[in-house]
Amino acid sequence: MATSSLPVPNHMRAVVRGLLGSQEIGLVTVLIAAAIALSLLAGSHLDRANGQIVNNFWNSYTLIQTATDASFFAIMAIGSTIVIISGGIDLSVGSIYALSGVSMALCLRWLSSSSGATTTLAGIIVCVGVGLLCGLLNGVLVVGLRVHPFIVTLGTMWILRGIAFVATHAESILVPTSVTAVTKASLGMGGGLFPVPMLAMIVTTIIGAIYLRRTVMGRHVFAFGGNPEASRYAGLSLSRIQIGVYAISGATAGLAAFLGATFYGSASSADGQGYELYVIAAAVVGGASLIGGKGSAIGATLGALLIVLIRQSIRTLHADQNYEWIIIGCAIIIAVVIDRWSQGLTARRLARAAG
Amino acid sequence: MSELAVRFEHITKRFPGVQALSDVSLDIAAGSVHALCGENGAGKSTLGKILAGIHRPDSGRVIIHGAAVDFATPRDALAAGVGMVHQELAFCDNLSVAENLCLGALPARRGMLRRSEMRRRAVAMLAEIGADLDVTRRLGDLPIAQQQVVQIAAAVGSGARILVFDEPTSSLTQHEAERLYGLIDRLKQRGVTCIYVSHRMPEVFRLCDTVTVLRDGRHVATRPAPELTEAEIVRLMIGRDMAEYFPTQTDVVNAAELLRVRELSSPGKLYDISFSVRAGEIVGLAGLVGAGRSEIAAALFGLDPHARGEIEVRGKRVDIARPADAIRHGVALVPEDRKLQALVPLETCAHNTTLPILPRLSTLSWIHRGRERAIVDDYFARLRVRAASPDVLVSALSGGNQQKVVLARWLAARSTVLILDEPTRGVDVGAKAEIHGLVGKLAAEGAAILLISSELPELLRLATRILVVREGRLAGEVPASSATQDGLLRLMAGLT
Repeated sequence: MATSSLPVPNHMRAVVRGLLGSQEIGLVTVLIAAAIALSLLAGSHLDRANGQIVNNFWNSYTLIQTATDASFFAIMAIGSTIVIISGGIDLSVGSIYALSGVSMALCLRWLSSSSGATTTLAGIIVCVGVGLLCGLLNGVLVVGLRVHPFIVTLGTMWILRGIAFVATHAESILVPTSVTAVTKASLGMGGGLFPVPMLAMIVTTIIGAIYLRRTVMGRHVFAFGGNPEASRYAGLSLSRIQIGVYAISGATAGLAAFLGATFYGSASSADGQGYELYVIAAAVVGGASLIGGKGSAIGATLGALLIVLIRQSIRTLHADQNYEWIIIGCAIIIAVVIDRWSQGLTARRLARAAG
Repeated sequence: MSELAVRFEHITKRFPGVQALSDVSLDIAAGSVHALCGENGAGKSTLGKILAGIHRPDSGRVIIHGAAVDFATPRDALAAGVGMVHQELAFCDNLSVAENLCLGALPARRGMLRRSEMRRRAVAMLAEIGADLDVTRRLGDLPIAQQQVVQIAAAVGSGARILVFDEPTSSLTQHEAERLYGLIDRLKQRGVTCIYVSHRMPEVFRLCDTVTVLRDGRHVATRPAPELTEAEIVRLMIGRDMAEYFPTQTDVVNAAELLRVRELSSPGKLYDISFSVRAGEIVGLAGLVGAGRSEIAAALFGLDPHARGEIEVRGKRVDIARPADAIRHGVALVPEDRKLQALVPLETCAHNTTLPILPRLSTLSWIHRGRERAIVDDYFARLRVRAASPDVLVSALSGGNQQKVVLARWLAARSTVLILDEPTRGVDVGAKAEIHGLVGKLAAEGAAILLISSELPELLRLATRILVVREGRLAGEVPASSATQDGLLRLMAGLT
């Protein structure tokens, strides 16, 4: 039953397997391999400040910057993964991101005189609250109108961005520095390093993983996505499950919007355009099945990290940036094919071990 | 008669984790109807699929009319004159019968489809096997029986001289099955060799000249059908004498009424159904397909929003508007279609078992896995669920064990009224006897059981009394002691 040929102590292997499924182990392997390759190929430069040679990729600044870039996608991808596990899809997350961001920026304008802590708290509540409401709207429309979620969220994708556009008159709105200071806190890591979005990503991943694997609600999402009819026969409330997953997806988009708007210092109705596709790509690369019934929060985060890492590598290696989309598109298809192939291998290995 | 149509030589086939066939050798005479019998997993379907080019043997040879063949696809097999009638091999549901029949070679002129020519050909192909259907209808709109007729016409029309039937009657009504038998008789007269995969004894004896029994992927016996009895075939299939379950008739007249139904009605489906089930009783529900048996189950389980009438559980009037209400009052349904209505295939056996009772096993949505595992282990042991571990996917289990998982689910939910809709459908012979024993044991322990079954022997064997439904109404009630198959059939069909 050995899953790897590395000389790892048995209890360590058990711990690793408890934390990660075979899916995630594959992704972690790919991520580490990509990071090593990138470090080797990146070359190095001389740091003027302290006279030391620094690797162009493997340095704390680039690493945290990569994680920060990934964090917005990853947080939304966790929500999206939950929707995808339920057999649905949420195309409106990019627009929810924009609407939450501008809602907060507009609200904080009125509260500008308050203290930093109050404004920050108000900002989080407004962002996540608006996201949650948008998600609830999606859920209620999906359940109430019995229209396929692809159509519903395609519609709300335009509606919500349109609301943001009208509310802001297409202007970019600044976020008070008292709030940006919180997201850009260095937490004692020194100049130029801002670990808050990364930490938020890690915390959200942990909460998402617990939600999916250890709670009744998470179990219900898997059951509903795996077989809605059987879930109905088992007495589950299907509309509650469905509304719930879109609400969560909306809330994660709101949280990402809070981090994004405060990190970059402003919000506009054009924010987050095309994010829905990055987010779905991250979920799928992370092992979520569009048919439903399968996926994981850790996978979603790893998927987002992988996609951002690919983008980062184009910059670090000074490749032609015009090829970025082509490379990412290919990488997504390759990742999913490799994943299916490795799952086939795993299934065969398990069968051999059992038979 | 001694000319050979097919010869299997030392066929071996392995799937991940399963040795499906080991060293199977067997001859099939041209123009005969040859039964392949065996329990689920015995390898009978695999052998049929190898012949039809769906699977490829790992070793061994298939010889057709004296020539060794090696089919890579069903298309190759059809080119060599072997066709298959198989539910999972259905054609394009969204296309018409005519389009499906001509799909391989659509008549066209300069790339434009010639519809009238296509329809003419389709009608001719159907006439070839003595069938007559509206070829302009969408295939998916036809009943399964007629879809099979289309498959047979397609195979014969493209020159098949050997046809493999894989459990063709599993979703047909008695009447539709009779028509299929007639069609197979006609095919046989025309010299088509039929290989009939089934574990249903009556139809094997009705149709087949020769019977081959497989067990655990091995060839056990091939004999002329007239030399065999049903009991012998079953013994060959399971490799031992079957211990049949005989209920101990207990006195239930004075037991408490756990379920009482008064004037249950649903527009167009059910009219004034009233009955009761006492603790310890197994009440059978007989009727033809569509008579309203499953509709009664749906109404009692809160699946029919239009159902009206009074339901009492343990003497208390209850309102059942959705399954959750039924479950709360201790009413459980083991539905007719296990795969579609009961199980989540991507989930583990344990998760499938506890699906309805998670709130009880959790605090603030946090699942106590220790408690969950204890319950699962307990009921799996009681019901003797054979799974490598409760953590394997439920789809990896055999039909019988899957059904036990569904039963375990409702016992874990502490249900006292069990509605079993065709509980042994798609379950192999050994597991069937086991489930019968289990149902008897549950009743003996005080459950009230409403048993729906299309198999009258099953009802006669298990039930304490049998209700007969016809056209949505209760047509009669017969105590098991005086019920006969013939009498029940007459009541079901409305003959006096």
